[in-house]
Amino acid sequence: MGLLTSAASRAEVPVFPVVGAGGREAAEALWLLPGVRMVDTPRAAAVLVVIGRLTRALLQPVLLVHDQMPGPRATLWWPVDGRPADDGTDGDEGLLAALPDVVTTTAGDAAGLRAVFADLLAGRRPWGPPALADIESPRWRGVGPYGHGGEGMMGGVPYGRPFAEMAQDPDGLMLDQLPLQIGPLFPALPPGLVLHLGLQGDVIRGVTLGDNPYRSWPGDPPVGPLDSVPFLDARTSPTTVAALEVARARHHLRWLARTLRLHGLDARGRRIAALAGGLSATDRPAVEALARRLGRDRGLAGATAGVGVADQATLEPLGIELAGGPVARAAGVAIDARTDDPAYAGLDFEPVVHHGGDARARLRQRVAEAAQALALAERAGDAVRSPGPPVEGPRGPLAPGRTMPSSSLIHLLPTLLDGQEWGDAVTTVASLDLDLEEAAVDQSATAWPQTPTGTSTASTRTP
Amino acid sequence: MSVGPFGTALVVVLATGIAVLATRWLPRADGPPPTAPERIPFLGGGVPEVHAWSRFHIRYYAMALLFLAFDMEMVFMYPWAVVFAAEGAIALMEMLMFITILLLGILYAWREGALSWAS
Repeated sequence: MGLLTSAASRAEVPVFPVVGAGGREAAEALWLLPGVRMVDTPRAAAVLVVIGRLTRALLQPVLLVHDQMPGPRATLWWPVDGRPADDGTDGDEGLLAALPDVVTTTAGDAAGLRAVFADLLAGRRPWGPPALADIESPRWRGVGPYGHGGEGMMGGVPYGRPFAEMAQDPDGLMLDQLPLQIGPLFPALPPGLVLHLGLQGDVIRGVTLGDNPYRSWPGDPPVGPLDSVPFLDARTSPTTVAALEVARARHHLRWLARTLRLHGLDARGRRIAALAGGLSATDRPAVEALARRLGRDRGLAGATAGVGVADQATLEPLGIELAGGPVARAAGVAIDARTDDPAYAGLDFEPVVHHGGDARARLRQRVAEAAQALALAERAGDAVRSPGPPVEGPRGPLAPGRTMPSSSLIHLLPTLLDGQEWGDAVTTVASLDLDLEEAAVDQSATAWPQTPTGTSTASTRTP
Repeated sequence: MSVGPFGTALVVVLATGIAVLATRWLPRADGPPPTAPERIPFLGGGVPEVHAWSRFHIRYYAMALLFLAFDMEMVFMYPWAVVFAAEGAIALMEMLMFITILLLGILYAWREGALSWAS
């Protein structure tokens, strides 16, 4: 091994994570692994890590992202406990087989990941061959009068693609509008979210939601497990209030860590993610100090104030205003399922409320709720909550037969994103704390664990 | 024979150019050429349907015009500065009137929302 190779193999491994079904938690843990650097584009990656179950709808995007990594490249698969590898129900050897040279290691195994990277650089492991054919579609080379595929002023397919159609822009000008599909593997959006956008410059004009890649069709493995497991379990079995509240604080802090990373505050996000990992009720002073610091942060406030305003009038048609949840409480709606929960009766519980309904209010709402949750956990002692009343989950109330909070929140996106600049749109999406797997529960025939939901409508499989 | 300052500059420019081309070419030299999927921009798994070669609204043009207005004002101040000492208070008043008119223009544009980036 040459000096250069040995030095390079000691560098941080640039990893692009692909979050399959059930892989969200392990993907966040990847961020904290020593010697591993999560990158935002496959161009900068050497190792593609597929975490959890690869669904049928994720396969084509994953193959494309794999081929977009320049060599040397390798692909790893991290299984998630108790879950099948993929939707391999078509009689073949499964979807993972479509990816070349997949190495299976255990989730969170940094040493295994680094070993694969070192082998790759030393030439002991061949570069992963491309998964897709090297064909440009449509063909353009040598076509047309100048051989660049174009014809006349606007015709043909110059360099492989037609020109965009024109549309009216907010200033009354007729300008090109680029139709784009962003996701499901776009790191600045929640895993699995597919947005079909029209872009005029950096302004979004028209948003439709794409298919949910985690949605499970009859015959597929069930959806989940979700990241709100303790709250889902509390619907049917007794849980201590303290455990539930610590889980809530952890959920909000993990959301905060992701959001800070998105705003370019990577090191701060990392510290908060580490704090969330080992969180207990005794961390209350640390979380309260964090809430105070964030309240004083002018930079973060400037980036989120007035962005993505979801006021009560916006929330009402989707039923979010009446349901509650942090997004509604950040718009001044004082509804919380814990108010009527007998387990919280002696704990002096008052819902936290913020006003404005913008991304800044939602940020402050979640951090305040995290601090409040730890205070409740301290006061609750060994109090046990018995199943019955709806559980206030970290995104909204959870009850049998009721739609999951993410299912209704996701329908805010077309209204909120229209007319926004791209950067504000990313801030808005992050501030809603969407989980596409949670939304998939309502769209799917089977969920994991079996939820007594009455809203399953999926009965036919699209080809 | 000395190459002189021009010769030195030429050598530096040529050497920099060769270094830039080499750093661009070297990493690619022992790898395969990029395939069709590698040449597609990264959209998180999607493929762009249309050309990115499109006309969009350059929103800074209002700011650019304002900058030009005040830039030209500075040009007018050079001859004014030459006669300022001789003319005294009258020259000062005239320049203040000129700047005030420009400032009123800015305030009007501001009120009309011409400076907001995306409406």
